[in-house]
Amino acid sequence: MTRGVPFRSLVASEWTKLRSLRSTWWCTALYLLVVGAGGWFGAAITQSAPQPDLAVGSALTGFGFGQIVLVVFAVLAVTGEFRTGMVLASFTSVPRRGRLLLAKTVVVAVWCVLLSSSLALFCWFAAGRLTYVEGGIPLTDPGVVRQLGVQVAAATLTGVLALGLGALLRSSAGALGVSFGVLFLLHPLLAISETSAGERIGRFVPALRVGEDAFLAVQTTWQLGLLVLGSWAVATWVLGAVLLAHRDV
Amino acid sequence: MIELRSLTKRYRSRVAVDALTVTIEPGRVTGFLGPNGSGKTTTMRCVLGLTRPTAGTATVLGHPYRELARPMRRVGALIDPRARHPGRTARSHLLALAQSNALPRARVDEVIELVGLESVADDRVGGFSLGMGQRLGIAAALLGDPDVLLLDEPVNGLEPEGIRWVRGLLRVLADEGRTVLVSSHLMSEMEDTADHLVVLGRGRLLADLPMADLLGAHAAVRVRSPQAPLLASALQRAGGHVELEIDGALKVEGLDAAAIGDIAFATGARVHELARITASLEAAYLELTGDDVEYRAAPR
Repeated sequence: MTRGVPFRSLVASEWTKLRSLRSTWWCTALYLLVVGAGGWFGAAITQSAPQPDLAVGSALTGFGFGQIVLVVFAVLAVTGEFRTGMVLASFTSVPRRGRLLLAKTVVVAVWCVLLSSSLALFCWFAAGRLTYVEGGIPLTDPGVVRQLGVQVAAATLTGVLALGLGALLRSSAGALGVSFGVLFLLHPLLAISETSAGERIGRFVPALRVGEDAFLAVQTTWQLGLLVLGSWAVATWVLGAVLLAHRDV
Repeated sequence: MIELRSLTKRYRSRVAVDALTVTIEPGRVTGFLGPNGSGKTTTMRCVLGLTRPTAGTATVLGHPYRELARPMRRVGALIDPRARHPGRTARSHLLALAQSNALPRARVDEVIELVGLESVADDRVGGFSLGMGQRLGIAAALLGDPDVLLLDEPVNGLEPEGIRWVRGLLRVLADEGRTVLVSSHLMSEMEDTADHLVVLGRGRLLADLPMADLLGAHAAVRVRSPQAPLLASALQRAGGHVELEIDGALKVEGLDAAAIGDIAFATGARVHELARITASLEAAYLELTGDDVEYRAAPR
């Protein structure tokens, strides 16, 4: 029997699928616009900051809204196949469904990293232009690097979480609803509840901007925040992959 | 070669495929027939690993489909005309499928030309007619130049010229030694296409036989003569089974046209019409599946 298909061929196939859909480019444009404009605005209204990382933090505010677009993008990458029936062709050409999902995840995650890191750099640039910090905002400052790095990681993990929910639920409406519920509503609701239980639960709820969100039930360190978001993303993805492999189409 | 061994698929209380055991041989076109809902599509989905059988096995070229390393090189499938994203162009759709099996990019242009979609290759497939969609599906099935082809209702929605083209294509593919399984719920579609028939009814195997056998078993000759009673008794004496048609013609089973002509000549009966009844194929099919139609209009 011939050798198996190399993984890079699957990645190439998934990239062809993604780039040949208009929704990809709409989501990309909207993400750049929302986060870029939000960054410029956030930096503009922050006249001065005591430390460079705080100045950059204000400029990154736009990610809080922009990640809505990223969630839509990642969910549609999977549920679009089920909605249209394309999944029949995909699963017939690649019967090893876990491998297929992994290739799709690589493409979506790389796209998230590329866009988010470009935007993070733009936000850093905006902060440098518009927010006064004594000594400037050097890109070599450890606090600045941490802020930008954590934001790019958080955005990408959000995308992976949304993609995993897509594989799990298969329907655009369902996956988008659950994604928004978990990522955008849970924290504010727990914060409003102002209970100790809410605080305890809040520790294990994924946050969009990991420690920098406007409405957090409880402040955590960025390390714990990334760990929580990462765990949600991995757990959802694995569950999605297992169900994908075992369910009929 | 496709081998099904006691293949069974149950959906809650409904049995879609019921202990189906059959082998689809290479080098011929096998027609996969049955009324709507008889389990043809479910069987094909089981073969392609899209649906897990409740019991039994389905193998292609000796392996379960999911274990094939580069499945498109071994098996080409047209399973559902919806199996594409309407927002993608025909070329992008085929390129993504080709890449997923590490097939050369040039193959995409080849199959586009083969199915005659050159002029619309860069249009979004959402705007395609049913016939163009079928051609795109056939192009996808042929991408990997596979040894086995499974086509679910491939001529559905095709114009007469397209139907002729598909028939010619299937013939060529089978003559090259490939395994070709084509499903249809219409017997008439199979008449000029298939060499062998596998007939399903309510998920069970009703028949697995060469087309010629089915034709032979139900062959009849229509003969018209002004001296019908005289001829009818002569034919019956010769061992024919004779029925009187509404228009006064005789329908004869058990004797071929040449024998009937000779008997008429010996009897001195003039013959005004003598014809083989080809519609017997459709009748044979109806006879086979009559009791096994899943969805039937209520009699009024």
